[in-house]
Order: sequence, then C-alpha cells, then structure tokens
Amino acid sequence: MPGDSDLKSLVSELNNALNRKDLDTTTNLLSRAKRSLLQHNALIPNPSLSPELTSLARQVLELGALASIRQTDAPTFTRYYQQLQPFYDLERDAGAPGEKSSQPTVDIKTSQRSKITGLYLLLLLSMGDSTGFHTVLEGLVEEASLKGKSVEDDPYIKYPVELERSLMEGSYDKVWRETKSERVPSEDFGLFSNVLVGTIRSEIADCSEKAYPSLPISNAKNLLFLESEGAVIEFAQQRGWVLRDGRIYFPVEPEATRSEKDILMASGTVIENTIGYARELETIV
Amino acid sequence: MPAERRSLRSNSKSDTSSSANGEKARSNSQASSSNKDKSASGRGAANKAKSAATKKSTNNASNSGMGDRDQPHANGSDLMENGVNGSEDIEMGEDSAGAPTSSFNASKDRQGDEKMTVVVPPSKGSRLPGNQGKDGDVAMHGAEDEDAHKSEAEVDPRAKAVQGLSRSAPFTLPAKGIGLELLMMRKYVHADIKTNFSLLERAVSHFDPRFTLRVLRSISSMRKHITSDVLAQVIVETYPASSLTASFLLQAIDQPGAFESALASSQMEVDSEKNKASSKEILPEVDTYLSILVQIHLYDTKNIHKGANFSTSLIERLRTLNRRTLDSLAARVYFYYSLFFEQMAPLPPSPAAAVTSIRQPLLAALRTAVLRKDVDTQATVMTLLLRNYLLTSHISQADLLISHNRFPASASNNQIARYLYYLGRIRAIQLQYTDAHGHLIGATRKSPTSHSARGFYQASHKLLVVVELLMGDIPDRGIFRQAALERAMHPYFLLVQAVSVGDLDGFVNIVNTYSSTFRKDDTYTLILRLRQNVIKTGIRMMSLSYSRISLRDICLRLGLDSEESAEYIVAKAIRDGVIEATLDHEKGFMKSKEVGDIYATREPGEAFHERIRACLGLHDESVKAMRFPMNQHRLELKSAQEARERERELAKEIQEGDMDDEDAGGDFDAI
Repeated sequence: MPGDSDLKSLVSELNNALNRKDLDTTTNLLSRAKRSLLQHNALIPNPSLSPELTSLARQVLELGALASIRQTDAPTFTRYYQQLQPFYDLERDAGAPGEKSSQPTVDIKTSQRSKITGLYLLLLLSMGDSTGFHTVLEGLVEEASLKGKSVEDDPYIKYPVELERSLMEGSYDKVWRETKSERVPSEDFGLFSNVLVGTIRSEIADCSEKAYPSLPISNAKNLLFLESEGAVIEFAQQRGWVLRDGRIYFPVEPEATRSEKDILMASGTVIENTIGYARELETIV
Repeated sequence: MPAERRSLRSNSKSDTSSSANGEKARSNSQASSSNKDKSASGRGAANKAKSAATKKSTNNASNSGMGDRDQPHANGSDLMENGVNGSEDIEMGEDSAGAPTSSFNASKDRQGDEKMTVVVPPSKGSRLPGNQGKDGDVAMHGAEDEDAHKSEAEVDPRAKAVQGLSRSAPFTLPAKGIGLELLMMRKYVHADIKTNFSLLERAVSHFDPRFTLRVLRSISSMRKHITSDVLAQVIVETYPASSLTASFLLQAIDQPGAFESALASSQMEVDSEKNKASSKEILPEVDTYLSILVQIHLYDTKNIHKGANFSTSLIERLRTLNRRTLDSLAARVYFYYSLFFEQMAPLPPSPAAAVTSIRQPLLAALRTAVLRKDVDTQATVMTLLLRNYLLTSHISQADLLISHNRFPASASNNQIARYLYYLGRIRAIQLQYTDAHGHLIGATRKSPTSHSARGFYQASHKLLVVVELLMGDIPDRGIFRQAALERAMHPYFLLVQAVSVGDLDGFVNIVNTYSSTFRKDDTYTLILRLRQNVIKTGIRMMSLSYSRISLRDICLRLGLDSEESAEYIVAKAIRDGVIEATLDHEKGFMKSKEVGDIYATREPGEAFHERIRACLGLHDESVKAMRFPMNQHRLELKSAQEARERERELAKEIQEGDMDDEDAGGDFDAI
C-alpha cells in the first residue's frame, strides 16, 4: 500500500512531537494522520485491513488520546477512547487464553491499552461519574479473571481502582499520598492530581463541618493539605467559616428552626399519606 | 397420588362420549368459575355447557382423527389437563364436576401459572412435577445441568401416571421387562404429541392461547422420552411424503430416510396407516411445535452445532409467518436458539463468543415482535438480549437496550422474573442500589421455588443479599435457613456475618477464601465494594458501645493503616449520617452523642407507610391478575334479560290471571 510508509512516518513524527510536548504540532499532525487513516478506511478495524495498518491506526488514536489529555480536553479524550474500543476488543480476543484467533495477530506490544483505560477511569473518577467508572471496571475485572489474574496486577489500572476505593472509604490521606508525583504511574496521570486534590479538599471540608465543633487553624492546615495558614484562612472564608482566636468555628445549623420545619414537613407527609390510604380504601371497598 | 386419580378417570373410558361430555362441561364451568360470586350467571353457563357438550362429543371424534387406541387416552389426558388448567382461574367455585381433585391441583400449580400474581407461598414438597419445563427454563445457566438431573428423577412418576392413565392394566405388572416398557413409553410419548396437535388445532380455531400454553407445559414431561425415532414416526405420520417441512425436520434428527422405512413397515403399524388417511392441511403451529421438540432433542443429546444451524434456519422460517397463535411457540424457539449459541465455543466471557453473533437476529426479532404486538416473543427476546450482553459484560449496551425499550407488562411471570433479575444486576453494577434492590425483590418473589428453578432462585437471592449489604442493611437470617438456599448461600452467610459485626479482617479473609465462588456468581466486584460498608458498621458498633474512644483504638480495631485515615473515615461517617458523634482533633478522640429515641423520629411512620404501600400494590396487582372469560358479560346480560322477560311474563300472567279469576269469577257468578 502506498500510504503505509507515509503513515508510519507520521506516527513517528507524532511520537516525537508528543515527547517534545509540542502540542500545536501534534494537533496538526493528528488531523493529517486521521485523514490518511480515513483514506485507508482504517478508522474502524476490519478483517480486510492488514495487521500492520490496524496497529498503526491504533497508535494514531492512542497518541491522539494522550495529546488530548495533555491539553486537558476531556470530551476529545472520551471520543478517542470510544474509537479505540473496537481495536481493544480485537486485542482481547488475541489475548484470551486457549484459543487462537483466526486473523493474523495484530502487534499488541505497542498497545497502550491499560494506560489509556486507566486514564479513562481516572477521568471518570475526577468527574464523579462513579456509574461509568464501575461499568468499565466490571468489564475489566471479568476479563482479568478470565486470564486468571486480578485487575490490580496492572499498575495503570490499579492506580484509579485504589484511588476510588480510598475515596469511597474516606481515607483521604491515602488519596493525598497517591497523588504525589512519585506515586503516579505515569506523568499523564499526574494531570488529574490537581482535580483530585480539589475534590478531596472539598469533601474533607464537608466532613469537618459536621464532625468538629471547632478546629485550630494549624491543624486545619494539615487536615486540608494546604501549604500555609494563609491558604487556610482564604479557604475558610470561601466556605463561610468563622475564624476566631486562631480557631475555625464551623457554622452550626440552628436546631430549633430546623426541628420546627421538620414537624411542618412531617405533618404534611402524614396528612398526604393518610388521605392516600383513605382513597385507596374507598376504591377497595 | 395423581396416578390414582387418573386411573380412576380412565375407568370410565368405555363410555367415551360421556367422558367427553364431562370434560367439556367441566371446561365450560371452569371458564365461568371466575365469577362464582355472581351467582346469576351460573345458570346460564350451565345451560350453555350442556348444549355445547353434545356438540363437542361429535366434534371430538371427527376432529382428532386418531385410532381407537388413542381415543380414550386423548380424553383422559384432556381431563387431566383440564384439572391442571383449572388452576389458572383464581376461583374454583363452580367447578362442580372435578372440584375435589382440581382444586387440590390448583393450590399446587399456582406457581407455574402464567397469570400468577397472587402471592401464595406454596409448601415446597407438594409441587406437581408437571411444571418442570416452565420452571426449568427459568433456571440460570449454571444450574442447567443440575436441573437436568433432577428432572430426570422427577419426570418418572409423571410418566408413570400417564401410563397408568390410559392403560393401567399392563403397567401395574412390573414383570413386563424393560424392552417392552421402552416400547410402551415410545407409544405414549407418541400419543401425547398427537394429543397436543389437537390442542394446537383447538388453540387456533378458538384463538385461545391457553391451549398452546398447555401444550408447551407438557413438553417437560415428555422431554426425557423424546428420541429421534419417536419424532421421525410422528413426522412421517403427520406430513405427506412430499412435504418440505417434513424433510427439513427429518434432516435435523438424522432420519432422512424415515418415509421410505415407514412405507415399508406401514403394514405392521396399524395406526400410522389410519393417520395417513386423514391427511389435511397442517398448521404452522404444529410445524413449530415439532420443531421445538426437535430443538429440545438436539439440545439434550448435546448436538449443539447441529441445533444451532437448525435453529437459525428455523428462525428464518418463523419470521415469514405472522400469526398471533404462534407467538408463544415462537418465543420458545428463540429461547432454545439462544441456548444453543451460548454453548458454542468460544464460550461467553470472551468478547468473541458465539453468542455475540446472534445479537443481530435477536434485535431484528425484537423489532418485528414489537411491531406485531407479539408480547411473548418480545419479552423472551428482550431477556435473551440482556443475558447476551451481560454474558460478555457489555453493561452499557444492556443499559441502552433497557432505556430504549419498554418491557411488556403482560409478559409471562417467568419472563418478568428474569427481566427483573437482569435489571437488578445492571443497576447494582451502576451503583443504583435502591433500584436494584426493588427489582431483585421482585425477581426473587416471582421466581418459582420448585427444585427445577433452584438455580434462578439461588442466583437472585445471592445478588439480593449482596445488594442489601451494599445498601447498609443486614439481610434477614431466615433467607439462609431455606433448604433450597442453605448450601449455596453459605459463603454469603459468612460474608453477612463479617459485615454485620464490622470485622474487617474476617471480611478480607472470606473474600479471599471464596473468591472463586464469588467470581463464578458474578458478584465479586460488588463484594469488593463492601469494604467501606464493613468499616462503617465497625465504626457504628464502636460509637454505640463507647461514649468516647480514641482514634488510635479505632484504627487498631478496624485494622486501618494510620490514625489520620481513621480520622477522615470517622469524619466521613459522621457526614454520611452513619453515626451521631463529634471529633476532637487536638485530643484525638471521637465522642458519641446521646442516641435519641427512634420512636420520636419519623422513621416508624415511614416504615409503616412503605408496608402499607406494598400491601396496596399487592391488592392492585391481584385485581389486575383476575381473569374473566370472554363474552361472559353478554351471557349475563342475556340471562338478566331473560329473567326480566320472565318477570314481565309472570307479571302479565298474574295480571291476566287476575283477570281470568275475575272472568272466572264473573263466569262463575254468571253460572
């Protein structure tokens, strides 16, 4: 095929551009690469494609996904992820034990599947889409158990999975430690750290409001993972906390009015329910 | 017990017409039985029954076109099935002829019934084995083989009963030898199939799906005795030799030469000759019924590839037919179609599984079924598709299918149970535990509790227990005591114990020990999510037992990594409303608040409300599930009108009588 070498050079250029963090060039190259893929009709894997071309197409899409993550462009990343799914499905076939797929095997060594999937999981996590997160994870767990492994064997997948578990548990300090740069499996994952820290900080703030009557500012600094006491004060003001004598006092909801409102609400529902029963009884009798 | 009853009936076989009478009368009165409290109609119905009975007896003789040998049997089995069928009606009041036996049946048979929504928890051991097929089909994948074994043991009494029914004499003698028994068995299965033909014909002519359902229900009882010889014999007798359908069916069971051999032996086989004489147009229902039998035969003999090919071409044929009387049969065909493909390599969890290849035809079938308002097929195909997607863990696709389709509310009970189960699974994966819980409760309640459907019962209960745990509830201990569940649920029982005492180490141990079981049950990922629940329960226990406890102790008891973690976790628990407490960061302890009186809160009222709502829902559903025979109101109107006319006549007569009296008096006077 004439365009094959062309595409190959494009991919290597892309790799270079991405390594240089030259995002503008990458975008340009990407659109060229995608057009060339389209000409080969290789955007979706099909049996007529040569394995080489299929793997090239996958590489282009993967690089595109990584580029979009670096540009913090979540919708584009999601699109790339979806486009990659058919390629990864092929890969799952080839990787499944006990059966040899009939097609010539696509080179799966260059695949960055787990990395991309891990990034996608992290993206879902940072967006708070736990439904999507678990739906994707369920598929991965199934696949891993088919191979007799567990999902945690893959460092890229393990990272978001553990983060999610800690988040759900409430061990925010673990999340905080995980987001430190040396723990992150790849620099692309680090891009989410800021988002995640923001998320846990607001979670902790929520919890603290309920859990503590008051807190010294110095302790709050540690609790909220903030750098300085000044940052604490700023944060406290954002949330509307009262600062007095070097302590933070969390706003207490006035009990009396709340209970009164409660009673009003409760009587409303009680009346509603009773009328409902009366109506039902009438229809029955 | 059924054997006695039936042989009792067959004693009267010498008097064929009277037995036919009885049967018709009963079926009629049974039809009217649902309005027993409206006694006005009783008379009308009885009248009609009588007039119809005579018609029927002639009809029966000519209609079935069977040899003398089959005749009494046909009647007999009609009788019996009427008894079974009687249970489909909710009330049995008017069923005077067979009241004692059939009402007994009714209580046992409730469960397998299509329209069963009234929750009557049946005592377990007392189920009639006749419901096998229905229930067996509900059974989940894993339990399929197990079921097959059980049904083998269970079918026997039934088969014996059938034998006892038509000719009790030869079979009460055990000395006859196995060869003969097999031969006789063949004959009876053969005769059963023939009986079902006439039922199908009746279903078509009366446009009554109940007859078809009855036929489908009887499949299970004969399942073990279907051999390719029997099938070939039936096919040869039913079709003319030139029929394409016949050769299609015979090809599938490896007996392409059946016609020739039948021709050669036709002198010997008396009844086959007789049947040939009465060759007439063969209904597509009969075709499909025979095809289902062939499918089952192929499935039972593990001819998976052959069955898959046969089913594929069968479905092609079915798609060209548009007959409402075919619906429930077609649904069954699709069921076995998908079953065949599930068994084919590559097996399901792999994304290239053979099942994925039938998604396209199934979706097409769903579309057609919806357009034709074919509820049976629609429901079956939808559950099949969901199962298909879940097998390869394509959860988002399954979710999309649900959101774009409405499951028919009038689908059969078993389909609804399955649908609810799959829905519950999907929702549980998506963390919508409340929804999942509701669906799974529905599935477990609707699932038949018989032996044969135990797989489904267990699977739905397992999932339900896990979802309840995830919701923070502790499942009722009684669930684990049920005989049907005790062994299968043991790992889950240990799990519940660990969660309920908040023992994190124990929990991790159990998950590790039974991880293969949990993986097999597809609950593993859900169970992994339970970790936080264990922690929460642990914190709650501590908050209840100590008024003040240091974070260090909490950390030690829960086996957490650090005090910091413990502090955050406790703070989160307080925020989520798990415990009522405050934290003191400087001194590092958790102080519990006084626990308020729960009866002062709204909680009891809410619990009450929920229960009342459930009761009202139950009432509504039972009202919906009541069935009234067609055109009954007209009959009532008629009888009311008659009564009015009679009254009027009476009034007139009285008036006239008065006049007569006067006249007479006058005359008398005159005299």
